[in-house]
Amino acid sequence: MKRFDCMTKLAARLSDELVILSLGASVDEWYNAAPHMREASLFQQQLGCVTPEAFGLAAGLPDRQIVSLDTDGGLLFNLGILATLGNEQPKNLFVVVWDNEQYQSIGGPKTHTASGRVDLAGIARASGIDQAFTATTVEEFDAHCEAGLKAEVPYVVVAKVSGTVQPEIKRKHSDGREDKYIFVRHVEKTEGITIMGPSEHN
Amino acid sequence: MKQSAVDAVIRGLKRAGVTLVCYLPDSLFKELYPALDADPDIRTIQVTNEGEGAAICGGIFLSGQRAALVMENSGLRASVEPLARMGLGAGIPVVMLMSYRGDMGENNWWAVPHATTMEPVLKALRIPYAVEREEERIEQAIVDAYELAYASYYHTAVALSGSIVR
Repeated sequence: MKRFDCMTKLAARLSDELVILSLGASVDEWYNAAPHMREASLFQQQLGCVTPEAFGLAAGLPDRQIVSLDTDGGLLFNLGILATLGNEQPKNLFVVVWDNEQYQSIGGPKTHTASGRVDLAGIARASGIDQAFTATTVEEFDAHCEAGLKAEVPYVVVAKVSGTVQPEIKRKHSDGREDKYIFVRHVEKTEGITIMGPSEHN
Repeated sequence: MKQSAVDAVIRGLKRAGVTLVCYLPDSLFKELYPALDADPDIRTIQVTNEGEGAAICGGIFLSGQRAALVMENSGLRASVEPLARMGLGAGIPVVMLMSYRGDMGENNWWAVPHATTMEPVLKALRIPYAVEREEERIEQAIVDAYELAYASYYHTAVALSGSIVR
């Protein structure tokens, strides 16, 4: 199963959701798979921060559907967030974990899931997230996207994807600071709120 | 902490517009956590480590609500990676309120390193901070920390010590 094909399926289901996503090649893939979601997606280079940030966003915007696009390496870096989600039970957070069993962005050394013994969906369920599943086909993944985006409880799908990167995709040129401004202005516009307002005159 | 100090912290957080608090409980702020839990205007989220709390606070910033990360100063060490990524890499601020273990008057050997590392770590991350030891300073110090964090879009910290926490 290719990550890019899964992303294309998920992207087709998104319109006014907000997305926070992880680092590495998945950033460029999402940039190309979901061009209509570029402003609504926060592209971050933050191992271990993606799902916690997405949960913070979900807590602050309880009426907005939030999507976390995390990775096996990123989630393994901070498994504690699963226990926090299990206790807090956010109604508006759908977590996708791209599990390619490797640290792809640094050339592909294996992660702990490569052994076949470590089951991230199982860890999520044991942490109190009842709706946590593993998908191994694009059809399964798409069905979990449909269910997860509608769920009134936290929903996790671990997508077992190959280590390949979609060829000939356009690279994203912006850095984390520019990405933050683009994302914040999108949230401000769509929510009718001010997050980063004008300075005082004094 | 005396009830009056707990009240001062909550007054400061409310004046700063805080609606969500992430915390990992500690002993010096023992009386603060249940008071935050009980406050109807503040939602509390207990986390498994302070780095996770920092990242959640970053997400809350992006939502337009205001968050605080409340913890012992040892939690600063656990938060360094997300603070560096979010603050230095993207300009996503987190405001921290810490109990200052290891300051003058410390009576536990294991807490001494918390003081050894706190100010150097804050300086390494270039995080502006205030150390307050008088109760009457608490409320304004918290308000000031938010003013600066939302002007600089960078982290700030307030550490409470002395008679406030002993």
